[in-house]
Amino acid sequence: MGRSELRLRRPAQTRSVAPIRRALRAFLEALAFEGSALDDITTAAGEALANAAEHAYAQKTKRRRCDVELLARFERGELSVEVSDGGCFIERSPLPGRGFGLRIIRAIAHQIQIETSHGTRIRMLFPGPLLKS
Amino acid sequence: MIQTIRLAGELDLSRKRELRDAFALSSDARAVLLDLSEVLYADSTALTELLRFCAMAQTANAPIAIVIAAPQFLRLVQYAGLATAFKIFHERGEALRYLSERTGN
Repeated sequence: MGRSELRLRRPAQTRSVAPIRRALRAFLEALAFEGSALDDITTAAGEALANAAEHAYAQKTKRRRCDVELLARFERGELSVEVSDGGCFIERSPLPGRGFGLRIIRAIAHQIQIETSHGTRIRMLFPGPLLKS
Repeated sequence: MIQTIRLAGELDLSRKRELRDAFALSSDARAVLLDLSEVLYADSTALTELLRFCAMAQTANAPIAIVIAAPQFLRLVQYAGLATAFKIFHERGEALRYLSERTGN
């Protein structure tokens, strides 16, 4: 299997999250991901997207377009999913409010990187699907 | 009485307001059945609102039983470290029996 890529950019709004998440799921299904791996990757990406949509643009201005972008890339048997924004990713303690997102992502992804130099980018790595022989 | 709250579909950030409105305790509720058996997907927004509602019900001394069927939702609870925070059942009858035992009905 060669390299496959999905790139989506939408306004950073709560209603953008579900369509991007569903598109990622369809992309993963096409790559033969299934079962719990399919659910879990979608869940982790959904948390990153929700966090971006809810918090990333807390300081947005009317003149600035605020987007969230997802880039999923499957190459050499490994899947990377990146969610980026132009705001700042918020790492919060799990209680009392919404703050379980990062905990969930860390529980699912094999590796996670968070960069905050130019906006914020969260990169999650997952192993490829177990292909049936 | 046992109050029943039923939600279906995808419980994510876009339904935060709806979740908060739905998770309201009736004044005459002695127990609550949260039937989420038709939820297909949930995210941490749903977990946060569930925690908020459970705290409210605990204050009112009303036990809560939650019915969850979707494997994604069940694993989300585990990943968030909340497996012991909720009383979760896989089917409605089992949840009702649990609540009946606690309310004496």
